[in-house]
Amino acid sequence: MSKKKFSVNGSFKDSVNTVKFLTERKQFINNAPAVLPTRTDDFGVNKVAASLHPKVQNLVISRIEEHSNIAKSYYFKSTAPIAYFKAGQYLTFRLEIGNSVVTRSYSIASSPASALNGEYQITVKRISDGFVSDYILDNWSVGDAVVAYAPEGNMTYNPLRDAENIVAIAGGSGITPFLSLARAIDQGDEDCSLTLLYGCRTSEEILFKSELDMLSEKNEKIKVVYVLSHSEEKGYEKGFVGADVIKKYAPEGDYSVFVCGPGGLYKFLETELPKLEKERKYIRFEVFSSGKKKEESKEYSITVINRGTESVIKADSNETVLCAFERAGIYVPARCHTGECGFCRSKLVSGMVYIPEGEDKRRVADMQFNFIHPCCCFPESDLVIRIN
Amino acid sequence: MVKNYDAVVIGAGNGGLVAAARLAKEGKKTLLIERHNLPGGFATSFVRGRFEFEASLHELCGIGSITGKSPLLKIFQEVGAADKIEWVSLDEAFRLITLDEKEKCDYSMPLGKEAFIAKLEEYDPGSATVVKKIFELIESIEKTLDFVSNIEDFKPSMIKEIFSEHTDFLKVANYSVDEVLKSFGASKKTRDILNGYWCYLGQPTDELNVIHYFTMLHSYIIDGAVIPKGRSHQISTALLEAFTENGGEAWFNTSVKKINIENGAATGVMLDDGTQINAKAVICNASPYNAYTKLIDEKAVPEKLKKEVNAKTLGAKGFAVFLGLNRSAEELGLDNHTYFIYPTNDNRKCYELSKHIETNDVQATVCLNKAFDDCSPEGTSILYMTSIFAGDDWSKISVKDYHKTKIAFAKKMIDNFEKATGVLIKDYIEEIEISTPMTYARYTDAPAGTIYGYEASKEDGIVKRIVFDMIDKGIPGLYFAGGYTTRHMGYSPSYTTGDMAAKNAILGMAKEVK
Repeated sequence: MSKKKFSVNGSFKDSVNTVKFLTERKQFINNAPAVLPTRTDDFGVNKVAASLHPKVQNLVISRIEEHSNIAKSYYFKSTAPIAYFKAGQYLTFRLEIGNSVVTRSYSIASSPASALNGEYQITVKRISDGFVSDYILDNWSVGDAVVAYAPEGNMTYNPLRDAENIVAIAGGSGITPFLSLARAIDQGDEDCSLTLLYGCRTSEEILFKSELDMLSEKNEKIKVVYVLSHSEEKGYEKGFVGADVIKKYAPEGDYSVFVCGPGGLYKFLETELPKLEKERKYIRFEVFSSGKKKEESKEYSITVINRGTESVIKADSNETVLCAFERAGIYVPARCHTGECGFCRSKLVSGMVYIPEGEDKRRVADMQFNFIHPCCCFPESDLVIRIN
Repeated sequence: MVKNYDAVVIGAGNGGLVAAARLAKEGKKTLLIERHNLPGGFATSFVRGRFEFEASLHELCGIGSITGKSPLLKIFQEVGAADKIEWVSLDEAFRLITLDEKEKCDYSMPLGKEAFIAKLEEYDPGSATVVKKIFELIESIEKTLDFVSNIEDFKPSMIKEIFSEHTDFLKVANYSVDEVLKSFGASKKTRDILNGYWCYLGQPTDELNVIHYFTMLHSYIIDGAVIPKGRSHQISTALLEAFTENGGEAWFNTSVKKINIENGAATGVMLDDGTQINAKAVICNASPYNAYTKLIDEKAVPEKLKKEVNAKTLGAKGFAVFLGLNRSAEELGLDNHTYFIYPTNDNRKCYELSKHIETNDVQATVCLNKAFDDCSPEGTSILYMTSIFAGDDWSKISVKDYHKTKIAFAKKMIDNFEKATGVLIKDYIEEIEISTPMTYARYTDAPAGTIYGYEASKEDGIVKRIVFDMIDKGIPGLYFAGGYTTRHMGYSPSYTTGDMAAKNAILGMAKEVK
C-alpha cells in the first residue's frame, strides 16, 4: 500500500506487542498441567446425552400381563439405567427370528416417570399378518433378554406448538402412547389436558379400561370416551371416532388432535378431520405406513454393499427393500419403518424403486443424490444399494 | 481382518469430508469412517412434517458472491463437488437489535463494502471517513494473509518482503478488535455495528484477535455470503459423492475404537468390530478431546499435547430452535434473513450473561425464506434461532429436568424474538424442534455440547494458533481437521483445515517414500 502506514499505539509499541505473542503463547501452553483432560463422556452434558440416547439397551422381560387373550403387556427392566423419554414415543426392538434380523417399534405404554424407576411397558396385540407381533406373543417369556434401542418418535406434546387441550383418537392397540400421556399428566410430568376418544370393535376389546376410568375419575385433566363400532352398549358411544364424536366431546376453544391406530382409522379420518376445519398444525398422526397395493409379485435381486463387501439377496416386488434385508439377515439400523426417521437411509447406486404416495419424507439433497429410505421403498428392478 | 489404505479419515464432518475428497482426488486410496448413517456432522438437515430444516448453517462465506474471491469454491471445484451444489447469494448482512430498553437499537446492514459503509453513514453520520480507513486495514490484512497462504516454497527474501510490505499486519497482529477500532477513533455506534458478527466467533471483542475478526468481516461483507439450496446437507452429500466418484470408500454406522500409534507415529485405526485399518496417514475430524481421551492410549499422547488441550478453553455450546410456521414470511412481517438479537451492545456483558441458562439472551436467527422463498411450501416459512453458551451450565441439568429446561429456554428465545422485532410467531408454529448442547453431544460427540471448538481467547486466537502450529507439530502421521484446529470453528474454516490436513498428509506420505 502506498498510503501512510497504520499504527495502533505507535510503531515501536506495536512491533513489541507483536513479538510478545510468541513467548506468551509458549507460556500459555507450558503452564497447563500435563495430564489427560476430562474425558468427553464425563461432561454432564455428554452423560445426559448418553442416558437419553443410548446406542443400545439390553433389557430383560420382568413381567407379562395378559389382556383377555387379545393382547399382552410386556414389562422390561435392565441392570443399567434405561433411557427417559417423552410420552408418545416408541421403542424399537431388534429380534432374530430364524435367519431373519428384524427391527420393530412399539409405542411405550408406561409413563416417563416409570423409566426413571427402571421400567418400560409395551403392549402387543395379535394382528393378521403380524410376523413379529405373533412371534413376540408366542415366544417372549419372563426372564428373556431382549435388545432395544433408544426411544424415538415425534408424536409428543409440545406446549410451544400444540394447544393445551389434546383430543387423542386411539384405535385398538393405538391406545398405548395415550395411556403413557394420561399417566404422565396424572404424575405431573405433562402440563396438558387430554380427551381420549378410544375406538374399539366391542367393549371386550378395550385395553386398560379400569386404569383409564380410574385416571379420568381422579384427574380432571383426563377424560375418556369409548366408541364401539361393532356393538351397542350402554355407557359407550356407538360408531366410529369421526367429526361428530370429536365435536361432541372436544373442549371449548383450541385443541390439538393426536391420532394413533390401524390403517383403517387413518383412512376414515382422512375424510372426517377436514370437517373440523382445523389448521394443519393442530392435527398430528403417529407415523404409519400404508404400504403398497399388492400386485403379482416379481422377484428381483439386490446387490448389497456393506463396508466394502458385496452380497446378493432376493427381493419381492410386494415387499419393502428393508423387508428383503431383514429376510436375508442383514441388519440395518431401521427404527420407524414408515420413511420418517431416516435411520435406514442408504444409497441407491442403481435400479428403480417405488415409494408410496405421501411416504417420501426424504431430504431434498437425498432425492438429488439418490439416497433412499429402504423401509418405504419397493423394488421395481434389480438394485444395487450401499447400506454402510 | 486387516485392510490397507493410504489414508483413513475419522469422521465425515466438514473437515473430514474435504480431507477425504482431496485425498481421493489426488489418487490416494482412502477410507472415510463415520459413526452415523449420513455425512456432515453439524452440516446436515432434518425433516419434520412438511419442512426441511437446516441444522446449523446461517450463511456461508468463502464462495465470494460479490467479489468472486472464492477460496472455498476453488476447493469444491478441485475435488469435484462444486457443480453438485446450488448456491443462493445473500444481499443482507444482518439486522442488529438490542433488548436493553435504554440503549435500544435496530440496524439493518447490507453486504457489499460500499453499501455497508453507506448504510453505516446513515445510522452514524460522519462515520464514513473512519469506516473507509477501517476497511482499508481489513483489505491490507487480507493481502498479507493471501501472501502468506500462497507461499509454496519459502525463501529468506520473503521475510524482507513481509517486513517492508506487510507492516499493517505485523502491527495489529496481537491486538484485540476493540483496541484497533478505538485507535481509529471510531464512535461507539460504529463499533457496535461493526462488532455485530461477534456471536459467530463467540468471543467478546475486547479480547478477540483483530485479524481473526477482520478476516471474517472481509469474507462476509466484502466478498459476500451464500447459502446452499439443498441445505448444508447438500454440501455434505456432494462432497461424499465426489469422494466416492474418485474411488474413495465411505463406511457409515461404523465407529473407530482406537487410533493405532507405533513408535510415536500414527499407523492406522481399529474399528468397532476389531477390523484393523493400516494407513500411512490418519486424518482426525474428531476433536483432540476425543482423540486423546478415547482413541489413543494415554501413554502414546505426548505431554505437550496434553498441556495444549488443558491450556485451551472449550468454546460456545449450542442451542437452537427450529420453527416451521404456517404463514408466509410476508404475512408474518419477517423482513430479514439474519437477526442478531443481543441483551445489550456490550458484547463482553453478553458473553458473561451467556454463561447461565437464566441470564443468556443472545440469539442469531435466520428466516430461510428471505434467502429463497421456495425453501418451504407456499404460505409457510422457516425460522431458526441459535443461541450460544459460554461455560458449561447445561452440565448441571439432570435427565428429569431436561425437557422442561429446553422448552423454557426455547420459549424465552421466541419471546425475545417477538419483543425485539414486533413480529408475532407463537400462534403459527406448525413444527418445532429444539436442539440443546445434549443434542450436539449426541450427534457429534462434542465435549459438553461445544459447537465452537476451542475459544478464540486472547491467548488462543487464530494468529497464535497458526504460527504455533507451523513451529510445533503433534503426533507424526496424525492430522487434525475441523473446528478444533488452527482456523477456529465454522463451516469455512473447517473445510479449509480439512483441505490443509489432506495436503499435509500427502506431503507426509511423500517424505515417507523418500
